[in-house]
Amino acid sequence: MNVVVVGAGLAGLTAATELVARGAEVTVLEARERVGGRTHGLEVEPGGWVDAGAAYLGERHTALTALLAELDLKTTPATVAGASRFALRDAGATRPGRFPPLSAVALGEMFDALEEVTRLVRPDAPWLTEDAARLDGLTAERWAAERLRHPDARLFFSLFLGEMMAADPARVSVLHMAFYLRSGGGIRYLNAFEGGAQEWRIAGGAHQVCERLAAALGDRVRLGEPVLELHQDAGGVTATTPRGRVRGTHAVVAVPPVLADAIDLRPGPPAPRSTPATGPGCAVKVHLVYPSPLWRELGLSGWSVSAEGPLLSTVDDSPAGERAGVLTGFVTGAEARRYAALPAPEQRGLAVAQAARLFPELPPPIAFHLTDWVGEPYSRGCYAALFGPGDWPRLGPGLTAPHGRVHWAGTETSTEFFGLMEGAIRSGHRVAAEITWRETP
Amino acid sequence: MNVDAVSAVFREVLEIPEVTADSDFFVMGGDSLLATRVLSAVARATGVELEFDDLLDAPTPNALSKKIAEAA
Repeated sequence: MNVVVVGAGLAGLTAATELVARGAEVTVLEARERVGGRTHGLEVEPGGWVDAGAAYLGERHTALTALLAELDLKTTPATVAGASRFALRDAGATRPGRFPPLSAVALGEMFDALEEVTRLVRPDAPWLTEDAARLDGLTAERWAAERLRHPDARLFFSLFLGEMMAADPARVSVLHMAFYLRSGGGIRYLNAFEGGAQEWRIAGGAHQVCERLAAALGDRVRLGEPVLELHQDAGGVTATTPRGRVRGTHAVVAVPPVLADAIDLRPGPPAPRSTPATGPGCAVKVHLVYPSPLWRELGLSGWSVSAEGPLLSTVDDSPAGERAGVLTGFVTGAEARRYAALPAPEQRGLAVAQAARLFPELPPPIAFHLTDWVGEPYSRGCYAALFGPGDWPRLGPGLTAPHGRVHWAGTETSTEFFGLMEGAIRSGHRVAAEITWRETP
Repeated sequence: MNVDAVSAVFREVLEIPEVTADSDFFVMGGDSLLATRVLSAVARATGVELEFDDLLDAPTPNALSKKIAEAA
């Protein structure tokens, strides 16, 4: 058994590690000059790392927590006590806890409606959901316009979808929204910090998971080698990169769907991995660095939510045990597309000015970092691909179906925890089992 | 809305059967998201629109039932 793995993110490296453990020869071909995919660390002070990409996990993320234990990585609580700032209907409201100054009844109606549609979906095969055609044909924006009457519910809905899925409600189907929320454990689990999907961060940064997996794989991992072609014949698969060819008995494609479709696959697959309706997860992450987490001394958590961008929310992501204070700002959905198109000085100016309005007590940040995932050529979006109207019936049946000797992995192939680190790792395990099983006499 | 009706709402939202008139919503596993769903159910049944802080003040079916009666 000799497997070529395309992509050195969590899915590809998990699959590679497991295949090596089962005796396979493995070559991992990674387009970037780094491993990690949509996990990426930024060193904001010597030894102090923050997550420019995927960051959070909770106790239901069992594959990730098991992997952290194997790699001797620790978690750190993501919650910070204190009051929050809101710029929703009124500018600059301070509230204890995280509850926004909006009508609680309106938010309840929104969550009732989301709960109802989330329960309808068939989580293992969303395209087979009863009523799938109706839910698939409807954008989340139209659904909200029909279903939510209170202006507070509509305002909060688009902020909620931005936070949960980095989605623009106009471009994602209700079926996908309902599936995504269900796949991640339901609206309550996905929304919660304590006891939910944002319980912890990985101490020192999530990028270390892939770095440690890659270190153990050694020279099996080759950087700077984007796979351009994958050609199958009776005896195996040949991957072509700008530097040459690699031959294997099987291949694992562990990249986002739009990038998988960009590989010249021969013979062509029976169905594409994406369609023109498939949108990128729209997330830009900014990090505002302060000499220390100054807001904590003022009784503030660093958490804020704003109706107007670019920073729709901020959260305290200060590296544990270090001096620096870091506020992470999330720019998501349609706002991310607008913001990503601006020149760099304007991006910085807008983010710093908004932080000053939200937290007038703070001095200007001492450093500023911006990560635009939409513009990343080897991610093309983050958190994950967003399935638009028409996508699930076309893409669902082939999500994990091997195409000859070519197998598919990546968080977008996992119906469990789709779009999260956990989904990526589970897809890596699944694909390694698929290939091993085929090779078992 | 009487105590039994409020208890029934708690049971439905918390998805647990063991709610009594003196069960504290937040001790029984309620969080702010589920709290909004209690308040929307109360509004649907009675027309009374309470705020999140009202449930923090009156977190049991007994206390919340009184609060609804006062606000009605």
